[in-house]
Amino acid sequence: MPSRQIYIVDDDSVAALITQRGLQTMLDGQSTVLVTSSPNAAWLACATDHVDLLIVDPNPQISATLSLLRAVRAFRPHIPLLVLTAYDTPGLRAKMRELGVVHYVAKPIDLRDLLPVVYAALAVNPPTSDPPLATISLKHPSGSP
Amino acid sequence: MSELECLRGYIQDLEGRLYAAEARADSVAQEAELQQRRTIELSARLSAILSISAALLISRDVDAIVQLVVREAVGIFPGTSAVYLFLLDLEHDRLQLQAAAGSGDHQTGSALARIAILSPRAMLLVGPELEMAVERLGSDELDQLHNTPGWPPYSALLCPLRVESSRMGAIVLYGGVSAHLYHPRDIPFVQALADLTAVAIDEVQQRARAAILQRDLAITQSLHAEAQARLNAAQAQLLQSAKLAAVGELSASVAHEINNPLYAARNSLYLVEQDMDADHPQRAFLAIAQQELGRIARIITRMRDFYRPTRAELTATSVNILLRETLELVQTHLRHGHIHAVATLNPDLPATVAHADQLRQVFLNIILNACDAMPRGGDLRVTTQLLHARPEAPPTIGIHITDTGMGIATEHLAHIFEPFYTTKAQGTGLGLAISAHIITQHSGRISVESELGQGTTFTILLPVST
Repeated sequence: MPSRQIYIVDDDSVAALITQRGLQTMLDGQSTVLVTSSPNAAWLACATDHVDLLIVDPNPQISATLSLLRAVRAFRPHIPLLVLTAYDTPGLRAKMRELGVVHYVAKPIDLRDLLPVVYAALAVNPPTSDPPLATISLKHPSGSP
Repeated sequence: MSELECLRGYIQDLEGRLYAAEARADSVAQEAELQQRRTIELSARLSAILSISAALLISRDVDAIVQLVVREAVGIFPGTSAVYLFLLDLEHDRLQLQAAAGSGDHQTGSALARIAILSPRAMLLVGPELEMAVERLGSDELDQLHNTPGWPPYSALLCPLRVESSRMGAIVLYGGVSAHLYHPRDIPFVQALADLTAVAIDEVQQRARAAILQRDLAITQSLHAEAQARLNAAQAQLLQSAKLAAVGELSASVAHEINNPLYAARNSLYLVEQDMDADHPQRAFLAIAQQELGRIARIITRMRDFYRPTRAELTATSVNILLRETLELVQTHLRHGHIHAVATLNPDLPATVAHADQLRQVFLNIILNACDAMPRGGDLRVTTQLLHARPEAPPTIGIHITDTGMGIATEHLAHIFEPFYTTKAQGTGLGLAISAHIITQHSGRISVESELGQGTTFTILLPVST
């Protein structure tokens, strides 16, 4: 089975490292998890390399991450996007919804809860049959704004 | 000629002179008697006029005034058959009979009153003059009068009731067939009586109008005080909410900053735990550390959600109704500021699930800011519309609040939604920050466009189902 390539874009290097180490460990060596703090580097990888999943923390203060998401949606729509953010707000959720992001989780999530979401984003069955409960639905709910 | 004849002639001459002197004495005596009678009559009239004047001064009722005048007029002008007093009914543009005395005919009085009100001053009409004057009014009326008993009267005194240049009615007196003619010296008296009457009626009417104005003023002041109190309460609530929101904003920003290190710490422990033997003696402490970090995560979540409305506070809300209520709330404020508000609200706007009080605060804050931007008055336009970005996308409610005020400088425009950023001496810098926060919490967007000296437009986009 060929190795999957996952890219993490996070301006918090420690958080990015933990995500990378955790996923690398838990995905049982079937994936290569790479980290970058630069949205430009991530876009270069998406444009020229094989990327199976892009995990992004879109800091609302940094517009480059939003541009990256827009570019991937427009020019590499086959690459699944997973937003893993420390800046969860209804506004950010709305923005992600508009960009067509389906997989959205808020920090501080446990890695064991993040794993099923990653499997779902990769569209592969996880080793266990647990559903990805940690995903925050970006569909229009009828209650909370 | 003998001396005797001379004496006789002299005596005759003396007798002739004596007769002439006696005749002059009789004439003087008659004249004196006439003058005395006139003086008495004049004195009686003056006395009556003064009495009327005194009575009119204390009278507070138009009906009492007119009744007194017609009653006294009969006595002041001897030989009067009838007195009529008409007042002008401006609403129906006609003369309305207010009071009558004597035994006359209403139709005669009405015809004469129509002549009187067109006259600038009092006038005396005698015999044929009366018929000629009525003829000028119209032939039909004269035909009717010919069939009226007692027509034409011997003479009539007519006078308009006027105050300054304003006509308010007429007084008419006429003498019956057997009465003596009125005299030109009666004219100043009827004029004085009419002037006194007009002034007294005018004063009563002015007093009534003043009372109505006073009552209206009291009602207006009461409404104004009520509206001001509501506005003050709303502004106080706005400030209180802004303070709370500032705390919430701070909490949320702190929460976001903590999320990354917390995520790293919790999951570092998790990764350590994965490599640790199940019976490792330090595993218990690792579990405690994970539990406590979990507690911190829950506290952070609560802090982040400090100003997020709970589900119970969210209801189906009509943006149009909220905007109308807000405009109603600031109505007095707008009127005093000479601000003309126009609301163009799309009647087909669907309801949105929202925190109504919070949205009302946003609208109130933006509208009050617009008022502040127009210290010399201006136009405020509030518009709502239903937007469809894409056919498959859910619709969005667009709200535009535009003023024609002084505008916002470009250097301020980029910062106006930041907390504590203000250009006002007494501003908190929280109003627009919290407005933006509330709109964001409702999954909406707020933006501003402004041009110095031209005005400002705030645009709020709210999803129909938030």
